[in-house]
Amino acid sequence: MGHRLKIISGALVAFVSAQAVVAQDAVTWWYEAANPEQQAALTEFMIDKFNAKNPGDKLTIDYRGSELDKQLRVALLSGTGPDVVNTPGPSFVATMARAGQLMALDDIADEKGWNDRILPFFMDLGRFDGQLYALPKTYETLGLFYNKAVFKENGWTPPTTIPELNALADEMMAKGIVPFGSGNSGWRPANEWQVSIALNSIAGPDNVQKALTGQIPWTSQPFVEAINELDSWWDKGYFGPDYFSLNGEQVMANLAEGTAAMSPTGSWNFGLVPEYFNGRQDEVGFVGFPSGEGVPYPIFSLGIGSTFSISAAAQNPEGAAEVIDQVFSEEFYTDINNVWQGEWNMPLRDLSGVSLNEDVIPLYTESMAALASAVNENQYGYTTWTFMPPATNSYVVSGIEEVWLDILSTEDFLAEMDKIFQQELAEGKVADIPAR
Amino acid sequence: MYRLFAIPTLIINVSIILLPALLTVVLAFYRWDGISNPTFIGFENFEKLWGDRIFWKALKNNVIWTALFLTFPIAIGLIAASLLMLVRRGRTFFQVVYFLPMIIATVITARIWQGMIYNPQSGIVAMLNRYGYDVRDPLSQTSTALYGVAVADLWHWWGFMAVIFFAAMRQVSQEQIESARIEGANYFQLMRWVMIPAIMPTIALMMVMTVIWSFLVFDFIFIMTQGGPAFTSEVLSTMAYRKAFYELGVGYAAATALVISLFGLTAAFFYIRLQNREDAE
Repeated sequence: MGHRLKIISGALVAFVSAQAVVAQDAVTWWYEAANPEQQAALTEFMIDKFNAKNPGDKLTIDYRGSELDKQLRVALLSGTGPDVVNTPGPSFVATMARAGQLMALDDIADEKGWNDRILPFFMDLGRFDGQLYALPKTYETLGLFYNKAVFKENGWTPPTTIPELNALADEMMAKGIVPFGSGNSGWRPANEWQVSIALNSIAGPDNVQKALTGQIPWTSQPFVEAINELDSWWDKGYFGPDYFSLNGEQVMANLAEGTAAMSPTGSWNFGLVPEYFNGRQDEVGFVGFPSGEGVPYPIFSLGIGSTFSISAAAQNPEGAAEVIDQVFSEEFYTDINNVWQGEWNMPLRDLSGVSLNEDVIPLYTESMAALASAVNENQYGYTTWTFMPPATNSYVVSGIEEVWLDILSTEDFLAEMDKIFQQELAEGKVADIPAR
Repeated sequence: MYRLFAIPTLIINVSIILLPALLTVVLAFYRWDGISNPTFIGFENFEKLWGDRIFWKALKNNVIWTALFLTFPIAIGLIAASLLMLVRRGRTFFQVVYFLPMIIATVITARIWQGMIYNPQSGIVAMLNRYGYDVRDPLSQTSTALYGVAVADLWHWWGFMAVIFFAAMRQVSQEQIESARIEGANYFQLMRWVMIPAIMPTIALMMVMTVIWSFLVFDFIFIMTQGGPAFTSEVLSTMAYRKAFYELGVGYAAATALVISLFGLTAAFFYIRLQNREDAE
C-alpha cells in the first residue's frame, strides 16, 4: 500500500510540476537560417535573458531556413504561425497588414517608447495607412569593399566619381585584376545589389524616390543612363569571368587574396571579414560607391534586412511585444554585435551606451557611423529589395541578366520593369516612401 | 463490403491531392497574391501566359529536358541492366553502386556538382583550368546551363532506370534466353528480339513516367541555377514557383501549374490506353 502511495504521490508531483511548466505562456518566433554559433548567441543573449526577465513567458526560436517568408505567408494565411513575425521587408508588410494578418503596434510603441528609441525614418517605413505595423530588424547598406594592400601597392585611391571608377577599373583589368569581385551563384538576387547601386549612385536617389512614388516612370532618361552604365561594366568584364559561378564567400576570398581589388556589395559582408582577412583586417576598406554626375558623394542605399511584427493571430501578443522590446535594447545590441556583425544593426537613435569589444573590427563601427551621418545629411538611397514591390524586384533580378547577356535592351528592360511596377503601385503593393 | 477498404486511402487522396488540385484549377482563374482576397479574372492569367516569352522559353526547356531524359537514362539503363544480366559475380555490388546516387539527397548531389565539379575556383573545372584546359562552368553559360543541370540529374537518375530494367529482365523466361543463345543469337540480337520486347511494358511505363517527371522537374534546377542565367535554364515549375512565392502571383502560378499538369495528363492518358490495349490482347 505504502509503495502504491509513493507512486501516486510521485505522479502527482510530476503532474503539478508539468502544469507549472505549461503555465508559462509560450512566445514563438520563427527565424531564418543561422549557423550553430549564431544560434548559440541567440540562445544566450535573447532566449535565456528573456526567460529570466519574464518568468511567466517561455520564448522559443524556431530556425526555418532561407524559405522563411514563404512558410510565414502560408502559416499566417491559415491563421497560425508564430507570435513574432519576421517579414523580408516593408513591401511584404504592406500586403500582410492590408490583409489583416498583422497587429497594429501604435499603442505598444507608445507604451514601450519605441518612437523615442528608433530612428524616425525607419519607423515610417513600418507605417501603412497611418498605422504602425512593423519595426525594422536591421538596416544595411551597399558600398564598395576594397583591398587596401592592393590599392597601396599600385598607388590607387578609392574613386568617388564614375569617370574615376572607370579609369581605375580599366587599369585593374590591364593588370589582370578583377575590378568588381562579385558573384550570384549562392544568392541569385545578388544582381539586385548592382541594380540598386546603379539606380541610386548614377540616376540619383531623388529620381528613384520620384519613380517609387509614381511621379516619373522607370523609363526616364536618368535610369536609362544608369542601366547603360551598369551594362557597359558587364561588357568590359569588370565583374570578372565567373559572376554566375561564384558565391559570396568565394568573392570575399578573392578580395582578400587580391585577385579582385573591389567588391560592390552590402554591409552584411562585414561578418565575413574576420574569416577571410584573418589577422590582417586593416587591409580591408569600405567606402561609398562612386557617384554619377550631379549626384552627391557618397550615396548609401538603405535596405532593411527584415522587419518585426506581431501576428494578428498571436497566442501571446504581450510576450511578443516584450521580445521585440528586448531586441531594441542597448544591451542586446551590444551583446549580439560583439559576436555577430552585420545582421543586427538595429536603427537605434542613441548608440552612446554601446561599446563593442576589441574583437570587432574598427572598420565596421566606422562604416556604420558614416552610414548614420549620410542618412542624417539626406544622402541615402533606396535598395530595390526594400522599397520595390515583390514582382518588380523579382523582375529586376532576372531581367538585368538579360540586359547583361544582350538578350534585352536597356529600354526594353526598363519598359517591362515600369509596366510591372505601375500595376503593383495601382494595387497598393508599394511601401509608403517617406519624403526626402 | 470490400469497398470499405478503399475509404482510408480515398480520404487521404481526396484531402491532400484532390482538394489542392481542384483549388489550383480554381485559382488559375483568379488574381491572388497569396495573402489578401482573390479576385475572379476569367481567362486573363491564361491570356497573359500565352503572351509571356518566359513561359515559352520555360516550355521549350521542359521539352528539351524530356527529350534528354527519354533517351540517355533509358539507353544507359538498358545497357547497364543487360550487362548485369551477363555478370553473375558482383551483380549485387553493381546494383548497389548504380542505385547509390538515387539515395543521396538531391540537394547534396546538386551542391557537389555545383561546387566540387563545375565551380571554376573549387571544382574539377578549376583543376582542369590549372592544367591549361580552357573549360568553363556550364552553369554560367546561357548555351549550356540547362544541359549542365541535366548532366547532374542524369548522373543520379540512370542507375534507378538500370535497376528497374534489370528487375524486369530477370522476369524474362530463362528458356527463352537459353533457346535464343542456342540458336546463336549474339548480344545485340538477344536484346533486340528477346529482352527489349519482353520488358516493353516496363520501358513504356518508364517513358510515360519520364514525361510526367520531366514536366515536374524542379529540385536540381532550383538548387543549381534557379532558372538562370537570364532564364536559360528556366522550366515551368521554377517559373510557377517564382511567380507564386517571389512575385506573389499565386493565380498566375496556378495557371502555369495547370499547363504542367496538362502534359502529365496527356502522358497518363496514353499510358492508360496502352495498358487497356495490352489487357485486351
